[in-house]
Amino acid sequence: MTSRRRAEPVTIVAAGAVTPLGADLDGFWSGLVTGTDGISMIERFPVDDLRVGRGGEIKKLKPMPPVGRAGCRATQLLLAAAQDLLARAPLSAAPERVAVVVGTALGGVEQLERAIAQKGRVRHAARAFYDSPAHGLARWVGARGPVLTVGTACAAGATALGTGAELLHAGVVDAVIAGGYDGLCRFVMRGFDALRSLTRERIRPFDRRRSGLLLGEAAALVLMTRDEGGGGPRLGRLLGHASASDGSHISAPDPKGRGLEFAVRTALDEAGLTADSIEFVSAHGTGTPLNDRIEAEVLRRTLGQRTSRIPVNSIKGALGHSMGAAATLEALTCLLASRDGVVPHTVGLEEPDPVCDLDHVMGSPRAVRPHVSLSTSLGFGGCNAALVLEGASA
Amino acid sequence: MSVALEAVSVLTGWGPGTDALPADAAQAAGGRAVIPLGRPALDGDRFRRATRECLLGVAAVDALLRESGIDRDIIRGCSTALLYVTAAAYGSSNQALVVAEALRQARTTGAVSGGTYFPYTAPSTMAGEVAIEFELTGPYGILIGGAAATIDALWQATRLIADGRCERALVLAVETFEECADLYSRGRWLVKRPLVEAAACALLVPGVRRVRYDAPRTPSALETLARARAGETFACGPLIALALAHAAGATDSVALTGEWRGRRAGLYWE
Repeated sequence: MTSRRRAEPVTIVAAGAVTPLGADLDGFWSGLVTGTDGISMIERFPVDDLRVGRGGEIKKLKPMPPVGRAGCRATQLLLAAAQDLLARAPLSAAPERVAVVVGTALGGVEQLERAIAQKGRVRHAARAFYDSPAHGLARWVGARGPVLTVGTACAAGATALGTGAELLHAGVVDAVIAGGYDGLCRFVMRGFDALRSLTRERIRPFDRRRSGLLLGEAAALVLMTRDEGGGGPRLGRLLGHASASDGSHISAPDPKGRGLEFAVRTALDEAGLTADSIEFVSAHGTGTPLNDRIEAEVLRRTLGQRTSRIPVNSIKGALGHSMGAAATLEALTCLLASRDGVVPHTVGLEEPDPVCDLDHVMGSPRAVRPHVSLSTSLGFGGCNAALVLEGASA
Repeated sequence: MSVALEAVSVLTGWGPGTDALPADAAQAAGGRAVIPLGRPALDGDRFRRATRECLLGVAAVDALLRESGIDRDIIRGCSTALLYVTAAAYGSSNQALVVAEALRQARTTGAVSGGTYFPYTAPSTMAGEVAIEFELTGPYGILIGGAAATIDALWQATRLIADGRCERALVLAVETFEECADLYSRGRWLVKRPLVEAAACALLVPGVRRVRYDAPRTPSALETLARARAGETFACGPLIALALAHAAGATDSVALTGEWRGRRAGLYWE
């Protein structure tokens, strides 16, 4: 490959979220740190014919301002996260200089179910495009710059942050609202149920008894700007990012984790750092036998001898696999751990699997203040992504 | 930033290549709402379960390599980036699963409701099949959206090359409409006609063309020409425009624009 340029960091000014652990970012973080279990029986649609009817369902959303025609579940989740974000950091850039970049695995597919079931409801069909929620968000926040939907499945929440950073690097916009979302619906529950990927037990990332994942719903957004050394409040910086494909299998990770390894090494390279700088890993950690083993192997290969001393966690035991939102929430976990000097433990992890030999944070949160963290993500279709993040305390 | 167009391929419901495009798509459609592309006949047991849109992606890359005499080994590995774009091609597999689920609930059998089919409903699976077939393990991006998203993907590819993050980049777009024709007919004032199924791919390499990204208000002449000749192809539009410029030997200075949901993006090779 030709000479590679080091990426300029971008500032992550603030964040907003809605998750099964809480209705905003503070609820998400306090739920993680206290080890709250966000998994419950799904109530919003019928699940009694499925093998598994539990997941990380958000039971109640905060009241929202009128959303006009953008009323599907996925859009509601995005707008709830945006409301939380903008309450913390109002947009100051000109509307045409603000981009929206969000990742998703499902888009507005629930609307497709309705469009097919309720013949004549054209508005459902129009919202069934996977990029409809992103356009709904852009309208709601008044952004008139690029509106991009990233479709790298469960890695999309990381790829979206990287894509947003590229827009800032190139000077296309001055501010980016980036993140990820996905809502639970029958379509995805039925699909994963048929795949036999859902566990009837609890989610146990990296545990020897792990038997599968549970799905969750969430939305998480960050406000990013170019890093111009301003003294205003911020959460941290995105130092490097990369996405890579496995070219191996459509629904299983590459047995050797080649795509993830490429992504981790490239993200570190872009950040201008070596593995020695990494002080915390927010792992994908789905709780499936294959993912956790392969991810652990990749982390050991890429982080080297220090792997046994780098704290690793997975948030999926607490809120389920929130698909398009997962990687953004994991990035936020890195930044909030740095802010508060505490790394949440992996809910459900009790007996670490020897083949996942890492420095797991288990049982209780760990008092540590990571300055530079790594977040790793994988998704259907052989998607992989890695983010290198620096907390504001650094 | 500077790149060059190494090759571009186009498959549409009108036939393979730009020569198959009619002068006036609306007239050639003769009132048909959808011009289908069919299911490519690709060899290999792996393709038995793959959806039509996956196969169209593979076929577009295959056509690009074959027509330009590029060996598969050239693009294999982590030095080639893959940027995939679609606005709607996942619709057919999603619709099939929703219908099968409805049939299952009605106690009849559904052919595609099993776990083996579900992964194919993800847009990422279409790009995944292409990555598997051509052993692409480099930088990877998937954008969901129409022609404006393809402009964004071309721009991302340019940046990946300019920053040395890859040696070449494939920008691939696929659109299918036939399975969801009923839904499109119910929203016929939302999309232009005829809807023409298409798959198109461009291979970008380092070069001398300077690239500028913009948000123009009006369509370029190439956008207008591609729409007139091909019809409504959503994300494939800018790649068809690029192919028309390439066929005319006019890639020295290209103004590519693409519109989707009220937003127009532009990419200028100068």
